[in-house]
Amino acid sequence: MVLAKDRLFRLLSDAVVEMDEKRALEITDIIVREGIDVYEAIEKGLSDGMARAGRLFEEEEYFIPELLMCSDAMYAGLDALKPHLSPGTAGEKQKVVIGVIEGDTHDIGKNLVKIMLETSGFEVFDLGRDIPPRLFVEKAAEVGADIIGISTLMTTTMEGMGEVVRLLSAGNIRDRFKVMVGGGPVSQGFADRIGADGYAVNAVEAVRLARRLTEGTAPAGGRLSDRVRHA
Amino acid sequence: MHEGTRNGMTPKERLLRVLRKEKVDRPPVICTGGMMNAAVVDVMKATGHTLPEAHFDGDLMAALSRDVHEHTGFENFGVPFCMTVEAEVLGSSIDFGSLSCEPKIKREVFPSVSRASLRDEGKHNGAGRTGAIFRAAVRLSEKFPDIPVIGNLTGPVSVSASIVDPMTFLKELRKDGDNAHRVMGFVSEFLIEFARGMIGNGAAAVSIGDPTATGEILGPGLFEEYAVRYLNRVIEGIRAAGAPVIVHICGDLKAVRHLLPRIKSDAISTDALVNLRLLKQEFPALTTMGNVSTYLLEFGPAEKVAAVAKKLVRDGVDIISPACGLSTSTSLAIIRAMTAAVKGGGADG
Repeated sequence: MVLAKDRLFRLLSDAVVEMDEKRALEITDIIVREGIDVYEAIEKGLSDGMARAGRLFEEEEYFIPELLMCSDAMYAGLDALKPHLSPGTAGEKQKVVIGVIEGDTHDIGKNLVKIMLETSGFEVFDLGRDIPPRLFVEKAAEVGADIIGISTLMTTTMEGMGEVVRLLSAGNIRDRFKVMVGGGPVSQGFADRIGADGYAVNAVEAVRLARRLTEGTAPAGGRLSDRVRHA
Repeated sequence: MHEGTRNGMTPKERLLRVLRKEKVDRPPVICTGGMMNAAVVDVMKATGHTLPEAHFDGDLMAALSRDVHEHTGFENFGVPFCMTVEAEVLGSSIDFGSLSCEPKIKREVFPSVSRASLRDEGKHNGAGRTGAIFRAAVRLSEKFPDIPVIGNLTGPVSVSASIVDPMTFLKELRKDGDNAHRVMGFVSEFLIEFARGMIGNGAAAVSIGDPTATGEILGPGLFEEYAVRYLNRVIEGIRAAGAPVIVHICGDLKAVRHLLPRIKSDAISTDALVNLRLLKQEFPALTTMGNVSTYLLEFGPAEKVAAVAKKLVRDGVDIISPACGLSTSTSLAIIRAMTAAVKGGGADG
């Protein structure tokens, strides 16, 4: 049974890596039917598959279309398994408020960061695209976020990121949140200049950064299986 | 303002000669418009010809384009000032932005490539803001025959990802190739039609910016299958109409560097991340354009901008230009430092 179980997890992970949504659903069907631990299947199958896909992305084997298709397979499997999670497994998770800054509607990068953060156990509140700086601050305060993640692809809108930091400072709540920034024209130098806590070059790196920024703060990271929200 | 007419060479002749790989006295220094919009707030405040109004009105567009040319020292006119003209004509809804913020897609018209119903082939010129752009091109080219009017196109991948939900579109490049190719083919024909309209109204060259078509986003496989194929289709259509073509490729190029010689444009422009000297070494046949960092242009100092521009001239870059769209808060003093450095004999600096 142990072997069979692990083999199923591996097959589920493979289905995610191979962008095979149909196959992922076939395997989650078996997992549910056989009464296998759903929590474990999410961690060792779906989450593992996305982590492998993320590595392939970093190695430039996969690019954005492939990563998006992997995430479709992952979310399909997750939606199939979620109803079978036993209650009480949902733990407290690090919260991230994320969005594309005002003036920009390019949200592919932001969506990828959201996917990878969720896969890695963060609870993500997605504000969407073209978001005024004020809304980042309000939402972060409202949900008690640990991290504010801001993205832009346009040089013309970068200043809005600095405005978020200024609003936090003006409200004397700068210390309550870590601010991370990313997107085409953004750099570590820019992040330093506006007083952000970190910059990530891509979605996989953003997860590492988010972990680093929240290291040592309770709660100690969630899991994909704890995830209750799927926007 | 010097126009550098030494040896009788006008800015238009200089640019067209470079694009034909002929000898010139020095590289042109230009900013194409479109994705590389140079209508910064400083210019608009000085003249009162403002965005977003100038996106709609051909006379105002011509006036602002002239302001940009005169205040910055860039040796061209560039129209339009944004990347949303094409998607608007094809049905997406547009947020036209403000004085300091460029227009963007509010909502893509189609949810997926399979549900993209594309009609009116060959009947788009005159729709949306195309008429205003044609009018601006006519006015500028007739009044200032020595300055090249550059007509700007958004590239076929980016237009497709502006009329189909981009997340779905990117997946469908793999999942639904038949419909993705159908959409890209249609968009390419539309772009040729639009470009022909601009050329017919006085545009001396066409510049294509296709920011969704990068190696980082697509990877080499899809870049070759879609970006190279349809960029080339558009390039061939434009050349058949008698104008040279500049293509700007965003990103660091790493994943798609080997494919660059396959793009048949008359010049390739790149981001600041790319070392153009090395690119020229690797592909000597390429006519290169670029690539003063827009970050440097925004924050300066002016002396460093001038030094970078002069270094690009020394490195043999064929056309000197910003590496990306200028931030609208970029100061005129810094932009002028760049253009003056190129015009003032950069080779010995």
